[in-house]
Amino acid sequence: MTATHISNRRVAVTSGRSAVRRVTRQPGVLVFTAVFYLMVTVALSSVWRAAAETSGGALVGYTAAAFTWYVATSESVIISLPQRLIYDIAEDVRSGHILGEMVRPTPTIVGRIATQIGTALPRLGICVVIGFAFCSLVAGLPTSWSAIALAAPAAVLAISTNIAGQHAFAASSFWFRDAGSAWFLYQKIVFVGGGMLIPLEVLPDAVNGWLRLLPFAAMAYTPARLASGHVEPELLLLQAGWLAVFVLLAARAFGAGERHLMRVGA
Amino acid sequence: MIANVRAAMVTWRSAWREASSNRAGFWTQVVIMLANDVVWIVFWGLLFNRVDNIRGWDFDRMVLLFTVFTISGGIVLGLLNNVRRLGELATTGGLDAALALPTSTLLHVVVRRIEPINLGDIVFGIVLFLTLGDPTLAKAGLVVFGVVCSASVWSGFLILVGSFGFFVGRREPGELGFSAMAMFSNYPIDLYAGGLRVLLYGVVPAAFVTSVPAKIVDDFSLTQAALLGGVAVLMMAIGVVAFNAGLRRYTSGAVWTSA
Repeated sequence: MTATHISNRRVAVTSGRSAVRRVTRQPGVLVFTAVFYLMVTVALSSVWRAAAETSGGALVGYTAAAFTWYVATSESVIISLPQRLIYDIAEDVRSGHILGEMVRPTPTIVGRIATQIGTALPRLGICVVIGFAFCSLVAGLPTSWSAIALAAPAAVLAISTNIAGQHAFAASSFWFRDAGSAWFLYQKIVFVGGGMLIPLEVLPDAVNGWLRLLPFAAMAYTPARLASGHVEPELLLLQAGWLAVFVLLAARAFGAGERHLMRVGA
Repeated sequence: MIANVRAAMVTWRSAWREASSNRAGFWTQVVIMLANDVVWIVFWGLLFNRVDNIRGWDFDRMVLLFTVFTISGGIVLGLLNNVRRLGELATTGGLDAALALPTSTLLHVVVRRIEPINLGDIVFGIVLFLTLGDPTLAKAGLVVFGVVCSASVWSGFLILVGSFGFFVGRREPGELGFSAMAMFSNYPIDLYAGGLRVLLYGVVPAAFVTSVPAKIVDDFSLTQAALLGGVAVLMMAIGVVAFNAGLRRYTSGAVWTSA
């Protein structure tokens, strides 16, 4: 391992830790996240439970209880993230704020991704606690503890993949100044194509097989599918693969973008 | 009263000019919201592709619910955007500029700001009704009635929860109230369990924002319509009383803003 790698790792760990401390010192934000998460989970899981009951107890292989665990998990990994991260990154590039980070001796992307993961983890933690309590109360305890054990790392991988993916998308703002609005498109793709609102099995058979392989599924569907009682460890491998791809893409794109910015200015 | 309305119209026209001054940005935001709303219709389309009917709600009825939801939401959050920000304005001293004017403070503040992105909701709702809502003249009239009542309940509720800011000094109640209303009115009331349903009729009146108006449009009932109209008037009255009571406790932030 080279000195650069060690330095990058230190920056990542320090940035992540400091973000965790910052968020945990703002109980108001955590409470707001928790209440909002609970409302969304109650509302959306009601829809799917009702749909399962109407269909004779199960729909596309999900029972009402499985739907509840699915929704609670898919919402937790999305709500713990800043909704407009792509927009915020684009704003930092457009305003020149990012130049202050570029003078540091480590790549900008390392600190940024680590900070966002550190910010999301406490929120994810509180959502998971509330989600677990809600699901246990409404749908009963998990049918498979093995699946829950897989869902826990999958949730962390999901937010990491999503954050890396948003950085890779947002890097286009180094060249296109209006890229900020791309966050909306990205968010909607994750909502439907990533399985946040709707388990992918509900979609037509012709598309759901493909969507399971795409990176957006790694951001919501994978942990939700596992938490709903399906022991499918291969999904974790796919998630890890997409995380590696997005981290690499984001690093390359940010590197190129920063060089472009140095040439043409903010 | 007439002078207040006239002043509000002038303020609203100026807010409109401000919002639409950047044409490209304005239309981009409208289109973004249209895309957002399409996602929801796709969601319901996919769901009702698997089940015909969930507790009395089928795709056609959901179209009506969404018509009311989007047009009403567009009016409240787009044309009267400050109803969502009352808590923030109350706690940060942002009402100073409005207090100095010889007109109703609440009326001036709520029409002062237009949010272009939510105007996309109004466009979407109208297009949705005309294309998938099986429109007739009578149905269109009921949609107008439902939207007016829905917008009144929604804005009255947001004024009420935003006014909590005057009393507790924090804007979170307003933000949570907004989130709760937007979240629960997005889905039919019959999908929720008994206790929650009572809450959504009484405490956070989300049922009167979408489900009740959609049912009236789909299957008219004079009793339901009278109830909806009554709740709309009552909710707005409660909001106005709460705001005026809170305004007496308002502390200036010594800042000069355009609210």
